Amino acid sequence: MTIDIHVHPAFYEPINADAAREELRHCELDIHRNGLAPLEHVFNQMRCASLDRLCLLAQDYSTQMGETLVSNEEVAQLVSFAPERFWGLASVDPHDGDAPGRLEDAFTRLGLKGLNLHPGRSRFDPADPALEPLWAVCERHDRPVLFHAGLSWEKDTLAEYGHPLRFEALAQKHPRLRICLGHFGWPWIRETAMLLLKYPNVYADTAALYFDNAREFYTQCFTRDIPITWIDRSLRHQVMFGSDNPRFEQIRMAEALGTLGLRDSTLELIRGENALVFLGEGDGA
Amino acid sequence: MMFVRTLVLCTKSYNEMTVLTPRVEEIVLESGVQEGMVTVLTRHTTTGVTVNEALECLESDIQTALALFAPEERPYCHARMLRDYGSTAGNPTGHLKAMLTGNHCHFLIRGGVLERGGAQDVYFCEFDGPARREILVIVEGG
Repeated sequence: MTIDIHVHPAFYEPINADAAREELRHCELDIHRNGLAPLEHVFNQMRCASLDRLCLLAQDYSTQMGETLVSNEEVAQLVSFAPERFWGLASVDPHDGDAPGRLEDAFTRLGLKGLNLHPGRSRFDPADPALEPLWAVCERHDRPVLFHAGLSWEKDTLAEYGHPLRFEALAQKHPRLRICLGHFGWPWIRETAMLLLKYPNVYADTAALYFDNAREFYTQCFTRDIPITWIDRSLRHQVMFGSDNPRFEQIRMAEALGTLGLRDSTLELIRGENALVFLGEGDGA
Repeated sequence: MMFVRTLVLCTKSYNEMTVLTPRVEEIVLESGVQEGMVTVLTRHTTTGVTVNEALECLESDIQTALALFAPEERPYCHARMLRDYGSTAGNPTGHLKAMLTGNHCHFLIRGGVLERGGAQDVYFCEFDGPARREILVIVEGG
């Protein structure tokens, strides 16, 4: 099974009947001129990228914005339209006092499979003791956390919150909590690799395309910034394919991954098997 | 008078050619225009509209010829983060191919029907699919 672990459904047609909400999403995500995506188009794109499943991410900065950007209910609704193609990850605003309860609800009632958080947008430190109740919910339900790490293009974000070192204390304190550093923590690729090497509960996804084209950027990140052998030999069970679509190009990134010189067995892990383990959907075999 | 309809396509492949002729003819009939012109115009910059003979072999040759002009693996400048979009451009070949085909075609309308040569068909050309696309069909006359 091939999986894109990092997809933002903010512009999927079924959850954009309200034009004001669509405009809010363009503004807050700083993604423009992309139009709305009918599910038929999403499925065509998946076929061209040879993807079986997408992980759709909710986004909740409601204590700043006054409303959720992409709600857990909207993600659950999209999953219900194509449960054989979509999984959903919940989001809660960590500054919301009811966040643990809402996360519990997202896991139990809505069937979402993990938690998506953006420290650079919500301005929090993953090691903050106040967040322990959130991690407790995740651990109790054996659900992972996907963090935005590294640079963020979204409005009102600061990269310093996404530095890989910010996540070490959490990884160390909660060895049973699986966490993913989105975007491979770019530009801190080596620092992300360091965390993956030391902590088996830390994963990273490949959702980065900030310069050049997909082949060129992946070549820079994964064969020059770090040698490809680091992933192929040591980190092969902790890297997952992610695209950050629609910010970045899912089809070309999926194709570029295959050009880096990774072993076929490593590619299988990155393209899907590691995501299954991360999501608690099996042993990946 | 001017009569305008928008055709919407969800293309399925990276590069593909779709014959639009029957839909254009229907719109001309619907317009009621007896003497005039019809323009078929794509609203996108990585798609084209062209006129050619609707044969599978020619479609293949056209795609091959366009790919010779704009091969995928070249160091194009249009491969960078675009601030206005908030996303990374990765479709230079689509723009270049669209430049070759052009973005529209015209046909004469006589006696209420599209007047075209025996081998002429209207093609919509996708060069950066899959995508949701819109094509304007503009009928002018009386």
